[in-house]
Amino acid sequence: MDAGLIPASLCECPVVENRQVGAYRQVSFVAPEIAALAQPGQFMMVRLAGESLDPLLPRPMGVHDVDSDLVKMLVDPVGKGTVALAGAAVGDRLSVLGPLGNGFDLEGGGPAVLVAGGMGAAPLTMLAGALLTRGREVSCLLGFRTRSQTLAAELFQEADIEVLTEDGSAGRQGLACDPLPGLLDGQPGRTKPEIFACGPAAMLAEVARIARQQGVRAQVSVAAHMACGIGSCQGCVVKGSASYLKVCTEGPVFDAKDLEWK
Amino acid sequence: MEVNLKTRLGPVELRHPVINASGTFDALSADLVLEADLFDRFPFSAYIPKTVTLRPREGNKPPRLYETAAGLLNSIGLANGGIDAFIKDDLPRLARLPVPVIVSVAGESTDDYGDCAGLLEAHPEVAAIELNVSCPNIELGGRSLGLDPKRTHRAVSLARSATSKFLIVKLTPNVTDIVEIAAAAADAGADCISLINTVHGMVLDHWSLKPVLGHITGGLSGPAIKPVAIRAVFLVSQALDGLPVIGMGGITTGQNALEFLAAGAAAVAVGTANFRNPLAAADIVSELGGLMQERGIGSVEELTGLAQK
Repeated sequence: MDAGLIPASLCECPVVENRQVGAYRQVSFVAPEIAALAQPGQFMMVRLAGESLDPLLPRPMGVHDVDSDLVKMLVDPVGKGTVALAGAAVGDRLSVLGPLGNGFDLEGGGPAVLVAGGMGAAPLTMLAGALLTRGREVSCLLGFRTRSQTLAAELFQEADIEVLTEDGSAGRQGLACDPLPGLLDGQPGRTKPEIFACGPAAMLAEVARIARQQGVRAQVSVAAHMACGIGSCQGCVVKGSASYLKVCTEGPVFDAKDLEWK
Repeated sequence: MEVNLKTRLGPVELRHPVINASGTFDALSADLVLEADLFDRFPFSAYIPKTVTLRPREGNKPPRLYETAAGLLNSIGLANGGIDAFIKDDLPRLARLPVPVIVSVAGESTDDYGDCAGLLEAHPEVAAIELNVSCPNIELGGRSLGLDPKRTHRAVSLARSATSKFLIVKLTPNVTDIVEIAAAAADAGADCISLINTVHGMVLDHWSLKPVLGHITGGLSGPAIKPVAIRAVFLVSQALDGLPVIGMGGITTGQNALEFLAAGAAAVAVGTANFRNPLAAADIVSELGGLMQERGIGSVEELTGLAQK
């Protein structure tokens, strides 16, 4: 991905809504600068504003959606940083640096297949909207562990969606990648689909394998522990085919062929 | 009362006492990512890029970071493109900064310190050199050179004979007697002591009970280590009277900076706080000025070492 970096701003943003969506919290805050610039697949460094030193650092949070002046993020409360963000009350202020990272490259043509595992669905809702606006056909494969985590119904209204759960409690039983080879086979004469994926490392590796096998392009959004989000600390690297790549400034979206997969 | 925030490190004049800790602020990357005019409102009074080594280093295996209680454990492993690439590609761009540039170097062998200092000597845009003898994340036969006074002395001597530039030596706190190491550095010709580098640490994943870092161990920074740093600054500046000290370790506020200066530092460095807020130093400087004014402390010179009097 080589989309030009968009200047990020640091803002204190009041929370205006915090609601349960599946197993996650959807937190909306006022951030006009970020809302105006954010592209699908970009992220922000977010923490509760104030002097508290624990949690110490902001957390990288995908831009889930924008709605005029509002920016939305989906929070999975798994550690102390995300627990704090998930607990943000209406009126609390967030310290937000963003938008950061490259985002997905939307310039390709042809149909798009979006593959998400769990929270990986968060950045893909905005992506689905942007691709539909560009007239691209969009199919989504959304994998979750179990019914209570599924996000699909209200977030992907216009796209063609297939939900999978590992325990079969909602949709089809299986993993997000299971139907992928079938979707890529396509019909003769049609442009091969392009894959956009976000989710756990094992899922992304499977997406990369299938994409290579089928000769299609896959853009994958990678998650990593981050300290700064702006290329200073070199803490968030992933192994590229030649060297380590910084997830924050060279990603978080990579062409699957540029990464080393185990 | 007018507060004078100016300070100096030998010939290097600083318009206020807050610089950055090496490896915690990439001015070139931040200039691209952040809103325009970063160089115009540059928050530090001098800039230290990430430590460079003679040859390029890929850095350590990820994960490289983990947040702890009020701290950050890291094991980056001095990832850098090597000093030749730094001099060719980065230095000309850094020369545009409105503040002096202090280049931090580390050796994979003792000789590297002399070689690196020699390569920088010809570049007038390098205001000073920091010898990082204290990175905990690169293996030099398993020991960072700054753990040993003799090897520290040797590395500093080699650099001293290769350069006439102001020479800062950055020390590790992971030693029995940091004053002994500082004295060895001073004896070998150091002009200034910078301390502290990170504190050795390790974190286990709460569920798997395995180390969270790819490199197993790392260095701890942030507010959690501030008392360790204050002690080191106090002891070293007291013992090496007259040699300026740059104090760092967990500074996030103007009050923290005030304490480091009172402990004996002539300047302070902000590190992990840059990850909380890339412009944190600007707030720290203005808070420091306000606190000095409130307390009737007219200058940094007057403040430095107050705790020792």
